[in-house]
Amino acid sequence: MEELIEKIAEILEVEEVDVNKKFTDYEEWDSLCGLSLIAMLDSDYNMTMKNKDILAFNSIKEFCEAVIK
Amino acid sequence: MDFVFKNKRIGGILTILPKKVVKFEEEMGNYSFSPAKCMKLKLAMGYKEHRIAEPGQCSSDFCKFGLQYLFDNDLLKKEEIDALLFVSQSADYYMPPTSNIIHGHFELKHDCLCMDINQGCAGFELGLIQAFMLLEQPSINKVILMNADVLSPKVSDRDRNSKPLIGDAASITIVEKSDDDSTIYANIKMDGTGAFALNIPAGGFRMPSTSETSVMEQDDAGNYRSKDNLVMQGDDVFNFVQREVPPMIEHLLEQADVQKEDVDWYMFHQPNKFMLNKLADKLGVPREKMPANIVENFGNASGVTVPTCISFNLGEQLTDKTMKLCMAGFGVGLTWSSIYMKMGNLLFNNIVEF
Repeated sequence: MEELIEKIAEILEVEEVDVNKKFTDYEEWDSLCGLSLIAMLDSDYNMTMKNKDILAFNSIKEFCEAVIK
Repeated sequence: MDFVFKNKRIGGILTILPKKVVKFEEEMGNYSFSPAKCMKLKLAMGYKEHRIAEPGQCSSDFCKFGLQYLFDNDLLKKEEIDALLFVSQSADYYMPPTSNIIHGHFELKHDCLCMDINQGCAGFELGLIQAFMLLEQPSINKVILMNADVLSPKVSDRDRNSKPLIGDAASITIVEKSDDDSTIYANIKMDGTGAFALNIPAGGFRMPSTSETSVMEQDDAGNYRSKDNLVMQGDDVFNFVQREVPPMIEHLLEQADVQKEDVDWYMFHQPNKFMLNKLADKLGVPREKMPANIVENFGNASGVTVPTCISFNLGEQLTDKTMKLCMAGFGVGLTWSSIYMKMGNLLFNNIVEF
């Protein structure tokens, strides 16, 4: 989980990620972050997600749980 | 679906690019992105500059210019042309076929097959497969494959998904019979359930262009486009490419009984640098063997990116040497296709500007 959160921080270009927030709560979030996240899921977690799947999570924590499960 | 061909070769490749160069920085003010985010986008996707046709220049004009160049330089004779294939998504008219217009322009012989094929990013591979099939006929010895697209007028200036990467271009490939009996391996796959992942909603018979279809609307990501504009579901296309292309290439090379490291070049369609580099990594091919420099220098002109990549990166090397090439195209349709073949001793392999 920590590794994934670190990767999310890298994509968002923030020091620390508040997992209770949604992706869109971050002003750094944009469509490019979305694509980077999709690419990271594909290469590192062998997982396919769409933009709208990512945006449907109520928090980053929920997203991480879905990826790690 | 697999194909094998023998006794066929590529005789020459000519790429025709518009003279007009547009830099990323000139357009980024149109996007609803801060300059800092635009620069991030530029870096991540590998955008620099692209070639855009002048208003009024159609894809057939680039083909005519290229064919005239070949006739003038004694690289092709009119009477040798047995078939003229025009692969494009930007035809001059609904009717007649653009290939017939080009045929008429040069007053080519009547014993000639003209065919327009509506295909995009996999248009070079699909066109080659069609050309190889035609060459199975005794009466066809030389096929002229024209890949051409001028789609920039269909892309909204305020669409940062598609505008920075679009390019206009054409290529002319001579495909002919040969004494060389080394096998050409090819395959093609289609998934029409993804037909609208890349599309232009209005302008056909289903939804004719009207003043209503030209109204600009904002999407969730802040891009503005109308129903007359090209729209791409970027995430769907990315996932499709990463899912389908690597197994297709593995299968192709298995059929050809070739190891990945024995292929000299992977000449792939270029949506953007980001996607191509990810694809090379997933396939386990060194990025140096899969050139990703077409979008940053010229833009993505759908089916023309593979021939442009061959002309730009290999140029005259291919006029004497022979190399083992793996080519692939993937996109609209959805269509994905690949070809493994030896290519060399080309009569010409260069870029001209129009």
